[in-house]
Amino acid sequence: MEFTALFLAIAITMLVVWYGSRTLALSLFAVVLIACVATFLHHATDALKLSF
Amino acid sequence: MTSQRAIALNVLALHALAALLVAAFAAQLILGELPCPLCLLQRIMFALLAIGPILNIRFGPRPSHYALSLLAAVVGATVSTRQVLLHIMPGDPGFGTALFGYHYYTWALIGFIAAIVLLSLVLLFDRQFEKDPAAHSAPSVIAHVAVWLVIGLTAANVASTLLECGFKACADDPVEYELLKR
Repeated sequence: MEFTALFLAIAITMLVVWYGSRTLALSLFAVVLIACVATFLHHATDALKLSF
Repeated sequence: MTSQRAIALNVLALHALAALLVAAFAAQLILGELPCPLCLLQRIMFALLAIGPILNIRFGPRPSHYALSLLAAVVGATVSTRQVLLHIMPGDPGFGTALFGYHYYTWALIGFIAAIVLLSLVLLFDRQFEKDPAAHSAPSVIAHVAVWLVIGLTAANVASTLLECGFKACADDPVEYELLKR
């Protein structure tokens, strides 16, 4: 679900870059980047099912 | 390098990113291999990387636009490095089918590192940032195609990920589309 939301947020940010204001686009980019890092850290703290 | 040449390079970069997202979709649809959570995050970082070039095409080249792409590439490289390390033990078959000897996440790591190097090289050319109102004209047809190709592929990923994961957390090792289950 979080990945769907991230793809949607990026698509919206791209549309804002193409049609909207630069400041709004940069703000949206910052929010999406932080959300991506948070999602990665969430998955990086999962217990690993290692193959050995 | 003039502003016009820099914009042409950014259009080329968008086409390369679109080709990369198409290749990921091809592996998913032709080989029937669903992307894992980390694979999805790598696709997301490639899509986020495309925002810098779109900004450059719309508003003209600026160092801050390249900086955004650099940040996305660094996070993407971190994500793909983690997945490479998860499968680094001898005997581990890796996740998914290998393409030309490397798995998708290894190609992604190579792609993100290449992006970091290329972005750094393009930043060396100061003349592209000189203010010249006459130089920045309306985007060309090829630029429009590149931008809409990337936006379309990102929207297609919204639909694909929704089908794969449904309205809950994505499976670690997905084998079927959650919303298409009977």
